[in-house]
This record gives sequence, C-alpha cells and structure tokens, in this order.
Amino acid sequence: MPRRGVSLSKGARAGIVLISFAAAIGLILFGIFGYLRSSPDVVTATQSTSQPNTVNLVMQVDGAVGVGAHPNWVGYWVQDANGVWHQTTLVKVPVNTNVHVTVYEYDSGGALRNPEWAKVSGVSGGQVNLNGTEDAIVNPNSPGNGIAHTFVIPGLNVTVPLYGVNGSVKNFCQTGPCNLSEAHTTTSFAFFSGSSVHSYHWQCFVPCGLGYLEGNGGPMQSLGNMAGFFEVVK
Amino acid sequence: MAIDMSQTTGVGRGGSSEGGGLKKGPKLNAFTGVLVGALGYLFGHWMGNAIAGGYQQVVGSGQNDTAILLGFIFGTIGFFLGLGILNYPLQKMTGIEPPTDEPEQAQGMMKYFRYTLDNKVVGIQYLFGMLVYFFTAGLLAMAIRTQLLSPTNHIWGPATYLEVVGEHGTMMMMMMTSVVMGPFGNFLVPLMIGSKRVAFPRLEAAAFWFTPAAYIILLSALWQGGFQSGWTGYAPLSIQQGVGQDAYLFSFGLLGFSMICSALNMTATIINYRAPGMRWSRLPMLAWGMITVAFTMLLSVPVLIVGLYVMALDRSAQTSMLYAGHGGSSFLWENLFWFFGHPEVYLLALPGFGVVTEILPVFARKPLFAYKTSVAGMIGVAVLSFFVWQHHLFQSGMNPDMRPLFMLTTELISIPTGFLYLVGMGTMWRSRMRFDVPMLFVMAVFFNFLFGGITGVYVSDVPINVTVHGSYFVMAHFHYTIMGQLMFSVMAAIYYYTPLYFGIKLSEKLGKIHFWTMFIAFNSTFLPLFALGLLGMPRRVFEYAQRLQHLNQWVSVSAFILGLSLAFFAVTFVWQLAVSKPKSPPNPWESRGLEWQVGYPVPHGNFAKIPVILAGPYEYGDPNALPVAELSAVGAHSASVSGGDE
Repeated sequence: MPRRGVSLSKGARAGIVLISFAAAIGLILFGIFGYLRSSPDVVTATQSTSQPNTVNLVMQVDGAVGVGAHPNWVGYWVQDANGVWHQTTLVKVPVNTNVHVTVYEYDSGGALRNPEWAKVSGVSGGQVNLNGTEDAIVNPNSPGNGIAHTFVIPGLNVTVPLYGVNGSVKNFCQTGPCNLSEAHTTTSFAFFSGSSVHSYHWQCFVPCGLGYLEGNGGPMQSLGNMAGFFEVVK
Repeated sequence: MAIDMSQTTGVGRGGSSEGGGLKKGPKLNAFTGVLVGALGYLFGHWMGNAIAGGYQQVVGSGQNDTAILLGFIFGTIGFFLGLGILNYPLQKMTGIEPPTDEPEQAQGMMKYFRYTLDNKVVGIQYLFGMLVYFFTAGLLAMAIRTQLLSPTNHIWGPATYLEVVGEHGTMMMMMMTSVVMGPFGNFLVPLMIGSKRVAFPRLEAAAFWFTPAAYIILLSALWQGGFQSGWTGYAPLSIQQGVGQDAYLFSFGLLGFSMICSALNMTATIINYRAPGMRWSRLPMLAWGMITVAFTMLLSVPVLIVGLYVMALDRSAQTSMLYAGHGGSSFLWENLFWFFGHPEVYLLALPGFGVVTEILPVFARKPLFAYKTSVAGMIGVAVLSFFVWQHHLFQSGMNPDMRPLFMLTTELISIPTGFLYLVGMGTMWRSRMRFDVPMLFVMAVFFNFLFGGITGVYVSDVPINVTVHGSYFVMAHFHYTIMGQLMFSVMAAIYYYTPLYFGIKLSEKLGKIHFWTMFIAFNSTFLPLFALGLLGMPRRVFEYAQRLQHLNQWVSVSAFILGLSLAFFAVTFVWQLAVSKPKSPPNPWESRGLEWQVGYPVPHGNFAKIPVILAGPYEYGDPNALPVAELSAVGAHSASVSGGDE
C-alpha cells in the first residue's frame, strides 16, 4: 500500500498497469472459455454398416435419476461409436444423410396439454416404430403411460412424441445412464439431415421441468437436458 | 439559507471521516467487507436451507430461492459491517455516542477502498466503479454481437445467449443510472453550489458501496444459470426461472436503495447547502440535472423496490401475486416495473443533458442560451416521465381506450426534450466554438440524440408501436438515446473534468482518435439496427432469418470497432492517469464555473470560507459580468476567472 510521501517510479507504475491489464484480460478469457463456452460433449452419429448414406443415432431419455449438476432434472443421453453414453444434446450428423434414430424412453409419461404434440411429422414414411408397431400418432391418454417427452427439430419439421413408461412398473431406472434391463419404451424413426450445412436447434416441448412453474423451467432450456443442437456438417 | 454553515457551528465542517464514527479500531476496507460478506452469505444460505430445505418446490426443482436470497441479504449486511458502514448507526442505536472529531484520513490508493465521507473520494470511487460496470456490460454486448454474426453457427447455446443479453441489459440499465450522479454529482455539486460538504455524507458513501455488492451479485447470476427474462423481468418467466433470477431481483433492489440514498443526499444538499447568492437562477445546469433526477428517483424507485419484493416473495415464500394461474397478475409487475422503468430512461437522459449544457457554454464562449427554458425542459421531462409508462404496454392487452392518452403524454414529452435540444442549438449559434475533445463529444450528443429523439416520437404512436414493438427498431431507438446521449455525455465529462479530479489533462490527440472512432463506429453499429427492425428482426433471439445476415455482420463488425475504441480509451486513460501523468494547467478550459476556482487539488472541505456568489456561471463574452464568486483562494494553483474573457 503506498504511504504518504512514498511514490513509485514511472517504470513501476507502468509495470503495475500492464500487469493489471493482463490480469483483466485473463479474467475475461477465463469467464468466456471456462464458463460461458463450456458445454456438454458433442457426439457424432455412427455410420451405418448395413445401409448406404445412413447414420445411426442411439439416444435415451432418463427421468430425475440423480446424475450431473442437477440430479432432479430429466435429460437426454447419446451413445457414441464405442457404446459409451454421454449426457448431452449436442449431436453431429453429415449433410445429405438419412439419420436413423433409436430412442429408449425411461421416464414415465402423462396426458398432453397440447394434443398436437402427439402427432408425428417430418420423419421418413410419416411414421415411427413404437415398440415394434408403426404409428403416425401416439396416444397420450393411454392409462399409465401417456407421453413423456418429445423430440422436435423445428427447422427440419421433425416431431416425434416419446411414449412414457407405465407408472406402475417395478423396475424403474434409478440412476443414469439406464440400461435395457430396466423399464423402457423404444421408438425408432429416420429423418433426412437436409442439403445444407446448418446448426438446427432441437428440444422437448412437453413441459418436464419438475418443480418449476408449469414445468417450463430448469431442464427445458438447458443444453444437455431437454434442448440441444443438431450440427449438420459436410 | 436554511442552515448556518459557518465554522463556529461545526455544521459546515468538511466531511472526511471514515469508518462511520469509529475513531480507532480495526482498519476496515473493501477487503474486510468482502471477507465478512462471504461469511454472511454462508450464514444466510445455511439459514435458508434450514428454513425451506423441505419445501416441496425445493425438493422438486433442486433449487432453494429462500437460501439464495437470505444468503444475499446476510452477505450484503456482512459486506457493510466489514466496511464499517454500520458502525455509526449501530453506535447510535446502542446509545454510544460516536466521536465527533475527524479521524485521520487514509492516504494513497487505499482511501478509495474504504468507506469515506469525503464527497470527492466518493466521486472518484463512483467514476472507476461505473467504468468497470460499463466495460463489463460492454463486453457482454460484444458476446451478443459475436453470436449474431451468423444465423446458423452458434457461439453460445440459446440459454447462455439469453443469459448474456439479460446481464448486458440489466447491468447497463441498472448500474448506469448513477453514471453521472455518482462520479460527477457527488464530486462537483458541493463545489458548484459553494458548499463545504454534502448534506448526508454517510448516505452518499453508502450509496456507492451498494453498487459493488450489486455488481458482484448480478454477475454471479451467470454462474447460476442466469435469468432469461431480460432486464424487464416479466412474470411468469421471472417466476419459473432458476436462482439466477434471485441475483437479478436482489441486485436491482440494492441499486434501488443506492439510488434512494444518493437522491436524498443530492436533494437535501442542493436545497439546503447553497452558498449565499447561489439563487435558483444561478444554479449550474449540472446541479439542475441532478436535482430533477433526484426527485424522479425518489418518486419512482420505491415502486420498483416494491415490485422486486413481490417477485422475491413469489419465488421464495411461494406466494402467487404475479402469476395468473394461481390468482395473481403479471400486469401487476408490468405496471410496477414500468412506473419506475420509464422515468428511469430519463434518469439516464437528464444527467446527460445536465453535463452537455454545463460544458457547452465553456467551449462556445457565450452564455447558455435560454437558461430558464433549459431548466423548464428538465423539470418538464421529469414531471411528464411519470405519465407515460403505459406506452410500454400498448400490446399487453391493456384497455385500448387508454392508448391515446398515453400516446399523447408520450408525445408531449418531446416538447420539454425539444427545449433542451434547442437550448444547445441556440448556445452554439454564432458562437466561436473551440473544438476540444469534450466539445466534440457534446456535439456528438446532439447529433446522436436527433436520431434517438425523433424515432422516439414515432414509437410512441400506437400504430407504429404495434408494428415495431419488440423489434430491433426499438432497440436502435433506445441505444441512440442512452448510449448515444448519456455515454457520449459521460465521455465529454471525463475529458472535461480530469484536470480538476486528477490534475492531468488527457491528450487531445489520443482523445480525438477515441472520439472519431467511437462516433463513427457507434453510428455504424446502431443506425443499421433501425433497418433490421423494420425488416422484421425481433429482439432477444439468437437465430434470425438468413436474409438479414449481411446487415447483422456489418453491425457486428462495427460493434467490435466500437468496443476497440472504448478499449483504446480505457488503456490510454489509465496509462495517462497512472503512468505518463500529463500535467494540466489550472482551469485549462477557462471555465467560469465555481468548481474550477478552487484549483487542484481540491482542498479538504472544498472552500476555506463559504463563498459569496456574485454572478451566474455562464456569463461568457460579457465584459461587464462580475466574477462568479468572492472566495478565498486556498488551492496551490487556484485560478480566479472573472467574467468576460473575450
């Protein structure tokens, strides 16, 4: 601390100013790259070995099963080429490609506020395969099940409702990532990734932010939970 | 004069005591404040978890707003305790008479990190505080423009983008309310009115120390998921948000208390502490700007605080006053917020006009044109600002019959604003202007405000408002009025008053580089936003139509140049202040203002004796004008400028 009568030389003052500027810039860079630019993993879809021009994408949706910074938040997981699950909603797919998606739904469902969310659109053939059955619309009012979440890419007009697990089952998944021995439903479908490089925003439209007003908070807008991007790349 | 400020009564003694009454004791400063504040936060958070940890809402969402809010409350109390701000009131409350003699004043840089009752130190604390807040919010603006370089490639996620937008808007709109009153009002008003002190130095000092607490808490929202509601905090978005919203409401509340403290002090000082002869008709324009703003703050800010309190209750105690689904009304918040929010726009604009009308006659070398009209303009804007807030709600479902009324009142406000504008033009008319850096910024204020003001008349009209509501057109309008007017005024004031504050004169050459780059880049950034708005680009979206990409890229590149220009200012300002220190002659602008007559450094207690005011401060070019005041020169380089230097 400078005291009365003590003055610093010009060089010392210049040094302090330069160090202060460097510290400020360091702090700013840390804020940007250490926090604001931090994001979940990006998983690249796996090239299909059986079909040309097709990639496979395997995902699961977990309930509030105690993982990550927000253990009470529902979230998507994506499997990489090595079979490892990543809690993320950031997916990379090639341009001009059929994306074949399989979603394992481990969360329970319910009736919908908006019946439009039960309709399928934007997928190949206009139908999804739900537990082995082709459907163009999923019944949101089936007793015990209903719809848990939706998979929607507005930019590609893709909407897929995800049928929920029956609430009375005994073997609910308790911690993510869940495995196939636990209660789940399976939905598979395919869509075309488009002819241009683009970053498509996607998200679940069923309000599933448990504990938030009308369910529209927390995980709903968070990357790695119920909102993400489809990066369509060359 | 209502109060005898002679030395014998002791009332007018220059205030410089620290520690709020503790003569001897621990050396309290900002660092002890942060330490005790952190402990207070932990205590409050623990208490909140103990109280509300079992709420169903908390269990469900995993967030405990009660704990966060109590943490903020006790953290702030701890911060104030650690700074020594509460010593004086606590001693009074417990029956201990605080010492009345002045403790030794801290020397060197350390005095700027302490609670001090010296209005000049508080002014400088405010100056650097405000610059830090402004540059932080400016960096966030750069983050916004980086994202908007492309409609398809993303630098930030959508939620992060909205966090950044909310932080930028809130920090600018909330912290910059004090950007003139804090650094310039506190330092200059006592000097301008011939007072040895401010009326309530403890309130003045506390008003500043609210701001770093608010800044840290607001910034902490970024680490807590932010608040996607933006600076307006509309319900129900603000109710369903994560704990970042608590940081928004609490920091805004702290700033509200800061504004009230500051405004109370400013009002009482100007009304009661004017020197003999300082009639209302001789009051400098900056002081007029301060008192009109202070009254506006006193009447509007409490309404905001009530609204924030309601929001805090909804979020923590699970009341439902702002949520229609449970019997409340989001209109309640909208009205409470905008009853503060629109006068707030003038809290930002009026001080800017105070600065430019203060500086303009000095460089025009002629009296301020139509002084009384100028004062009428300020009072008119302040009064009318309370009758226009519903124009923000034209599209909210309000009673349509009310729209014409609020359209009319909003259009009416262009009349007193026009007074202020025309006063500026009249002062410049046939003057022999000197184009020093402060004057360049003043002229830029009038240029920029022309765009902001005229588009303001358009957006107040219901048909146009309905068309451009929520678009970049509105954003361009308010950036022209606030950044184009207020921040250019602040820059003018910084260049103008640096000799009085620090005894240095900033380089004209560097200043002109700063001015021209900032002026061109500012207009290049915000003028195209009018076009973007009319082409249909909505605010607060991080993806936009592909056809708007080129305009957005132009705006982003211009914004980066604007950011570089401001960074250039920051670097050269600090460098000249701390390293090269180019010395300034006393009163380098040959101002008649009383504040310039005391010399540098401004003496302790401002004046040896209370001056007697003999004439107004703007009698330039009048060979028969009296000196502005009769005063005893006490500064080492005091300068007495008599009227009529030409």
